[in-house]
Amino acid sequence: MTEVDTRIPVTVLTGYLGAGKTTLLNRILTENHGRRYAVIVNEFGEIGIDNDLIVDADEEVFEMNNGCICCTVRGDLIRIIEGLMKRRDKFDAIIIETTGLADPAPVAQTFFVDDDVRARSMLDAIVTVVDARHLGLRLADSHEAEEQIAFADVILINKTDLVTPQELEEVRQRVRTINGQARVHETVRCDVPLADVLERGAFDLDRILEIEPDFLGEDDHEHDDSITSVSISSEAPLNVNQFNTWLRQLVAVQGVDILRLKGIIAFKDDPERFVVQGVHMLLDGDSQRPWKTDEARVSRLVFIGRNLDQAALAEGFRTCVA
Amino acid sequence: MSADTVEQVPLVYTHGKRLAPGAPVSAIVWLGDEAALALGDGSVRFAGVHGERVRIDAHHGVILSAARHPDGAALLSGGDDGRVLRVGGDGTVTELGAFGRDWVGGIAASARSKLIVAAAGAVATVWLPGAVKPSHSYAFPSTVGGIALDAKGLRLAVSHYGGAALLYPKSAQSSRFALKWAGSHLACTLSPDCGYLVTATQELGLHGWRLPIGADMAMSGYRAKTRSFSWDRRAKWLATSGDARVILWPFDGKTGPMGRKPNLTGARGALVTTVTFHPAQDILAVGYADGAVVLARIDDDNFIIVDEPSGAGVSALAWNDAGTMLAWGDEDGGAGLLDMKVRA
Repeated sequence: MTEVDTRIPVTVLTGYLGAGKTTLLNRILTENHGRRYAVIVNEFGEIGIDNDLIVDADEEVFEMNNGCICCTVRGDLIRIIEGLMKRRDKFDAIIIETTGLADPAPVAQTFFVDDDVRARSMLDAIVTVVDARHLGLRLADSHEAEEQIAFADVILINKTDLVTPQELEEVRQRVRTINGQARVHETVRCDVPLADVLERGAFDLDRILEIEPDFLGEDDHEHDDSITSVSISSEAPLNVNQFNTWLRQLVAVQGVDILRLKGIIAFKDDPERFVVQGVHMLLDGDSQRPWKTDEARVSRLVFIGRNLDQAALAEGFRTCVA
Repeated sequence: MSADTVEQVPLVYTHGKRLAPGAPVSAIVWLGDEAALALGDGSVRFAGVHGERVRIDAHHGVILSAARHPDGAALLSGGDDGRVLRVGGDGTVTELGAFGRDWVGGIAASARSKLIVAAAGAVATVWLPGAVKPSHSYAFPSTVGGIALDAKGLRLAVSHYGGAALLYPKSAQSSRFALKWAGSHLACTLSPDCGYLVTATQELGLHGWRLPIGADMAMSGYRAKTRSFSWDRRAKWLATSGDARVILWPFDGKTGPMGRKPNLTGARGALVTTVTFHPAQDILAVGYADGAVVLARIDDDNFIIVDEPSGAGVSALAWNDAGTMLAWGDEDGGAGLLDMKVRA
């Protein structure tokens, strides 16, 4: 038996203006799936969302006064989630729609930093909708477009009917270079089965183990500070103390560049899988469940960020082998 | 101190009554001998020691904040429907203001100055004595974290991201005394004589300003956000929630808690979520994250159990003016009343 997680799952929808976020949101809200959602929209948000429970967000990004230089949170989300919990019986999950220009880091970090938010809700997935026609332009003129792809757990390359197969292939490559770990769907009008988008939780974390490390090698760099993904793995079990020390030091030094990290770790003499997640300098780790008997005890860690040195990360990871 | 050999019977069984309002209790105010419970389902329940007398459906959503109306005959409520209501014990509901889709997260009122102040989004709105529509308002650069009035009801403190401000709420053109400190400031309290302003911070712990000059104080060591403040009747002690004990800061003397240690009381292994001083004695009612309620003293560890752990955190706690009755409510819709005058 495992303890039932009563925390409310939260899905974050990001994407540039016009990419199709609202289309996806309306599908989620109107399809007959029996789930009730509380929707948090940005106050400049679009009209035409039909839901019982809609809350306006103020996009208030607050720096934490705790000495952590990249530690920012969304003060409005902390307040809203606390308020929503007073009507906990009225919904099953929360969807947060961000503006096209929103930086996803403070949204994600809110779910790491605030203990009250963590106790009541869990970030299930960041879903980013990408406009296949305009991705190149967006990446060229905005920092946020790249970060939204980097932070994503699920990416919808939308409006594929409006580009040529060759253009689509370029978009695919760009997305994969930035984020080699997300689950990518190609859609016309965000027409993806909602089960592939919502409440993925641990299932998508397992996907880390399916990723071929070779695929995530250093691709053609556009410019030096472009975002890439690095995946490292070990078949030998790790030493828990060495791993914790290494990872903590790593994010303390390189946290500004590390947008996200996720891993599933097999520690020596530990029957449980350890899962770790991080945003910038913030880390969150927990024993998830016992390893299954037929499951290969492979440890794998995925980094998405800037200036990632694959060789150095792999070497550091190797020193953690027990 | 003696060993605990006899299990004390919780006072709720001998002097009180449990209630089951069925929705999270956001706040409780007393109107005479009746407690008004403001709930997460938008309703207000009026209850006495014989149980719930009447339910009034007031807000179209959650009641986030409440205070006693200056006239003493009604509860003032702020909801996530953006409305401020006067909910009378006689069942009348009057809308005093509507703020669209902004949540009314804070409300304060003074029986002495007759002022009412409510916070919705980044704006604090004032109702002058007797007003049934907003009189004037003050805008801030970020959402208001908390509001507080001093004992005379003439000074208003507003906390927000990056600090707090002090105003004279009677005046629409009030000067503003800005107090800056990095980070996000949540709930706040003014000492009764307006000598200190204390805020709870997002990073845990308190920040304080000694007034009028605004000298900074930091009070740390909390395990959770402080959501509940209470001053004792002499304004010597400020009791605070947010740790495994009630943390009481001394505010007597010229510099208050600066360089001094707090008193600690009410340790029983659970996080303290709510505190409120008795109006006439050196006794504190304390609510915990496990649902227990106790009566504690300022300077020793003895306490009397009012109610046992229910599993749901105590979210509201209030004495009546005479200090003869206590009401509490929790996050899961449980509540209770204690009446020290009668034996149940």
